[in-house]
Amino acid sequence: MAGTSALAAKTEPAERVPASGRVSDPRRASWPVLLVFLAPALVVYLGLTAYPAVRTIYDSLFTIEGAERSYVGLANYRDLLGDETFWIAVRNTFVWAFVAPILDVATGLLLALALYAGVPFARFLRVAWFTPVLLSYVVVAILWMWIYNYDWGVVNEGLRAAGLGTLARSWLGDPNTALAALIVTHAWKWAGFNMVVCLAAIHALPSEVLEAAELDNCGWAAKLRHVIVPMLRPTLLNLYVLAFIGKMKVFDLVWIMTGGGPLWATETVSTYVYKRAFNWNTFDLGYPSAIATVWFGVVCAAVIVLNRIFKTRDRLEY
Amino acid sequence: MRRAGTGIAALFGRSLIAAGAAAAAEPVQITMWSNWPDEPAKKEWVAARVRDFEAANRQCAVKLSFIPKADIYTQAKSAVRTGQAPDVFYLEPDQPEFLAGGFLEPLDGHVDLAKLEDWAKPAWTSKGKVYGLPVEAYTVELYYNKDLVKKVGVEVPPSFQLTQSGFADLVRKGAAAGITPVSQGVGDRPFPGGLLLFESLLRKLGTEDYGKLLNGTLSFKDPRVLEVMTWFKGLVEAGAYPKSFATLKLGESHYYFYQKPGALTFPDPSWFTGRAFASPESGGMPADFPLGIMQFPAMDQGQCPSCKTLAVAGSFVMYARGKNKACAGALLDSMATIGNGDKWVEQVSLQTGLKSDPAKINSSHAAYFAELNARNKGATYFFGTPLMYYRSKCAETYTQVMNNAFPAGLIGVNEAADKMDSACRKGS
Repeated sequence: MAGTSALAAKTEPAERVPASGRVSDPRRASWPVLLVFLAPALVVYLGLTAYPAVRTIYDSLFTIEGAERSYVGLANYRDLLGDETFWIAVRNTFVWAFVAPILDVATGLLLALALYAGVPFARFLRVAWFTPVLLSYVVVAILWMWIYNYDWGVVNEGLRAAGLGTLARSWLGDPNTALAALIVTHAWKWAGFNMVVCLAAIHALPSEVLEAAELDNCGWAAKLRHVIVPMLRPTLLNLYVLAFIGKMKVFDLVWIMTGGGPLWATETVSTYVYKRAFNWNTFDLGYPSAIATVWFGVVCAAVIVLNRIFKTRDRLEY
Repeated sequence: MRRAGTGIAALFGRSLIAAGAAAAAEPVQITMWSNWPDEPAKKEWVAARVRDFEAANRQCAVKLSFIPKADIYTQAKSAVRTGQAPDVFYLEPDQPEFLAGGFLEPLDGHVDLAKLEDWAKPAWTSKGKVYGLPVEAYTVELYYNKDLVKKVGVEVPPSFQLTQSGFADLVRKGAAAGITPVSQGVGDRPFPGGLLLFESLLRKLGTEDYGKLLNGTLSFKDPRVLEVMTWFKGLVEAGAYPKSFATLKLGESHYYFYQKPGALTFPDPSWFTGRAFASPESGGMPADFPLGIMQFPAMDQGQCPSCKTLAVAGSFVMYARGKNKACAGALLDSMATIGNGDKWVEQVSLQTGLKSDPAKINSSHAAYFAELNARNKGATYFFGTPLMYYRSKCAETYTQVMNNAFPAGLIGVNEAADKMDSACRKGS
């Protein structure tokens, strides 16, 4: 009994209404319970995302040679300002990130419209167009290196067959065409993804609006321009921003197909970071960490700016 | 009760002894990463050395993996920092950062260094200690297709060395006949595109000034250098290289030379044999291929027509923080014998930094080896390739400019020289 009364005495204050007047929600889990559920995700996030990010920023203030590290402050960042190759990589990455998503989204939208319009073999084409999304970058890169091969690639063979042999060239070996060739390859891989998203969005459009347009004798082109595309705008912008973020980090395809060459024409910030970290006869991770830190800031800033621009009229979700 | 307790104790004791005996019999396992997964002769040589070692040293077991070179470097760079690198791994002297970072164990206390060729030791020597077992050595050679060269109307002289203009004539005649004069591609390697140019520069400048060029104390704007580069640019414009030069991989350039479509010449280090002497079904050279070896062309007023690059390539090193150094050292010591040097030369048909006894070498490619020796007779060697001298930005510029853009005809002589000077010239 004594124990019971002691327990009652202990629990009594908890049952009182707080001075603030708020009543505690019995459905609300206590902190220990919350922690039990949050801990696994938190541990993974802290260990695999937060710590590496913070450590990268910290390392950027050092020069690391073998097991020794020496503090250099902002020297790595100062060196970065005068690093010609870094600025070439920045230019290439920006070109890729701002221009290529337009190609990606436009191609995806066109394919989706073709399916929506009921082209022959639509079921087959839907699968065929989506298949590249399922392929790894390695497979895609090798496939397109064959396609671009000077001697027997499909592109040059096609040109020769069409009597345009003078246009045949080493697409990946020419600084004037290498970046464009990679962008086309990337667009080919991701067009299917954009197509599926656009197709779902088109099917979700309110049918009464489309029917009203048809009743008003609105032609296919006018309906597309004045009804479908404006209504798809939030989806298209979401796809653009998603593609933009992906392309700011592009690495695999470039590394396999050109290694950043020729003459740094396809060097991206990611390939340059990798080269500086692993291909420069040095163990120094300080300078590559500085590049990675700067680029992390640039990507975040660019996404915020794009959000601001697009957010005025459309809500972005990604 | 007491008897039962004694019995249990005895059983426990016997189990402990048995476990102890098992532990004593358990060999120490070391890990070894080797390059050459796609070169059967070298792969078999390494595997055989490991088998021999394990048979003679029951207390050691070797977990041997064959991994492409680039992957070894990338993985090892992470692994050495975290203490997880293999006990023994493949390395070449153009990766000096492992030595500079203190990650390599000196072999002096583990390997009988008298079994290594004296000329090969400097490639791995630092502060008086030797850090690598120089298994693979090579010279840079100019292979050619005897029949095709004859077919385009060029006679290789008895010295096996064309003049500067003679080689340009060969290129022009090959291009006119629709035969690629020089099989070469830089799709997956940072050096092949520079072979012809830099071997020509060596012959023009001689070892001393060529060394200065590679050390960054001689400018690429030196008139002699510009003269050779201008001559080389003429070859490029005459169509010396395949149109697919930028994307053609090393293995493909082999196939291009001796299978399809065929080419007149193929500048390549003498490790050429690793791929060429594989079976034709595996992409090797056909048995009846009319292979010849000529000298790189003699430059006009060249300081050293007989000069040639000699270098150490595939080597094995020990990880300084390895936990099983006794077994790792014993493995490397067991590889460094004259008999193993002989086997390397016999099987791989390639030079080695291990001592060997030419009298005992019995190779199925004896004719090839005789020709290789003949082309090296009286040669003045320069030790090391450009990438063994160039570092960081300079190495990257060499890869992009001299290996790729310049031989691909993408940039001119002065632009190439400017880029090299700004990246490599000391004090620039």
